[in-house]
Amino acid sequence: MLMRLAIVLAALPVALVLHLESESIAPLLVVTALTVVTVLMPGSAGAALLIGYAALAMAFGDGHPLRLGVLVLIPALHLVHVTAALAAVVPVKTKIEPAALKAPARRFAIVQAIAFVVAAFAAVLPSGPNTGLAEVLGLGALTVVIGVVALRI
Amino acid sequence: MSRADKLREAFAQSHGAHWHPTDAYSRAVWLGVGLVVCGMFLHQVELVLFGVPLVLSVLLTHKPRGVPKVSVKPVPRGAGAGVVHTVAHLDGADAEIAVVRLPGGMRAVPAHSPDLPVRIRRDAWGPGVDLRLDHLFAGPDGMHVYGPVVGAEHVRTILPPVEHHPSGPLPPRPAGLVGIHRSPRVGDSTELRDIRAFQPGDRLRRIDWRVTTRTGTVHVRERHAEADAEVVLALDTRSDVGTDVAQWSSPHHGATTRPDGSLDRAVRRAASMAAGYLRQGDRVGLVDLSRPQLNVRPGVGRRHLMRIRTQLVVCVQAAGWSSRVALRKLPHGCVVVLLSPFLDDEIAELAVQTRKNGHVVLAVNTLPLPLRPDADTPWGEVAAEMIAAEHRLRLRRMAEHGVAVTREC
Repeated sequence: MLMRLAIVLAALPVALVLHLESESIAPLLVVTALTVVTVLMPGSAGAALLIGYAALAMAFGDGHPLRLGVLVLIPALHLVHVTAALAAVVPVKTKIEPAALKAPARRFAIVQAIAFVVAAFAAVLPSGPNTGLAEVLGLGALTVVIGVVALRI
Repeated sequence: MSRADKLREAFAQSHGAHWHPTDAYSRAVWLGVGLVVCGMFLHQVELVLFGVPLVLSVLLTHKPRGVPKVSVKPVPRGAGAGVVHTVAHLDGADAEIAVVRLPGGMRAVPAHSPDLPVRIRRDAWGPGVDLRLDHLFAGPDGMHVYGPVVGAEHVRTILPPVEHHPSGPLPPRPAGLVGIHRSPRVGDSTELRDIRAFQPGDRLRRIDWRVTTRTGTVHVRERHAEADAEVVLALDTRSDVGTDVAQWSSPHHGATTRPDGSLDRAVRRAASMAAGYLRQGDRVGLVDLSRPQLNVRPGVGRRHLMRIRTQLVVCVQAAGWSSRVALRKLPHGCVVVLLSPFLDDEIAELAVQTRKNGHVVLAVNTLPLPLRPDADTPWGEVAAEMIAAEHRLRLRRMAEHGVAVTREC
């Protein structure tokens, strides 16, 4: 039950940010529905849909690419992913020792540190029509990442 | 390979005792890479930033190797009912989290945590499962799992408890001279039987010098022999009933017998009586009235007590209704202890017939009294009263025919 509760707590800022960014209540309803699905079935596609929906909604919303809402959602969506992953392998009525969550918490912190370094790098990159070099660098980095991930699969 | 075989193989690959990726792994790979790629090509930095943690979580983890195991320190043999403590040892290999089903509930612990204390409750005698540690090991971030694995069952058989039971005097049987009962035969006990004139063959150490001096002829002291008795415990396993009449026809789950039901009482009394009589050197046998193949021949000693207690468990496991009851091949002059709820005339007939055959018969009533009528039917009270009245009449008839009857067990 603890991990299910953690999913809800991780989804709360997502719902709040999307609701504040939108003028209608639809994003809030969608996020709530997907959160309920994720809590009830952590092994389902609910978490993927929740992360994907929130990412697309923020990407195609108005505002600066590195606005506060985006910076809040970077750890929140990752937390949804991690808590849903753990909830999928831990049965509902399980007593979880805090020591068992130490390693995932440490890894979460490392990943977030790297993600915010990438965000800081994105903040200092030049924007506008003359971004050819940055795009080439980005595509190169992407190719390396896809290659490494493909090798791990 | 047919389509069904392919589906079966795919299903087996996603379960069982080997490392396999979870949905979280697929989500991190496809969603993470998808967001980063889309972000790059659509010039949306947000998508890249949301996808980076997912990709990183895949890159920072690895597929675990090795075979994680859960083992339990065996409970010492002979540990009876009550609470027993042992420990479960986790060998997590490359796993990060272990989820183990312990008797107190599921627990998620670090895969390399020290031994887990396990508390086993043994509430009732009989066969049962002490422990089955179903478990699952999860790799980093729950992206790979090993299991779930159904643990090995640790079965045990708790023998019926032995309570202190005062054992009264029994008719001696001269076949065996090991007990404490006074035999009419001459023997070597300390109890004086007679003083008589010396006869050829008498031992010199038996000469009573005081009487010899007084009378002038040699006299010897005769002593009683110490004989054992032969007790046959006859168990009626055809029915197991409690005080609640409404529950008589419904099966009982969770234990070998109904707690404090007629069969539970019979087995406990049988074990206690066997222990009491064996302790004083008597020979004790066991008879299952409806399944003669389960009988135990009379014997003596501590090992025989274990044999009887073990066989009592076997009798209860095989318990069930039988159309006939039989007491055959009874040893000559033995005492028959009949443990039954006496719910039918056949068992009462058997007790009377055994008495008429010359055996001492003790009928121990194991029916828990008073009976609680079935509240769901208006005839419940009448039915319970009828059963009780018939039962009283049966016991009285047996007593009239010379069977010693105990009304309460």
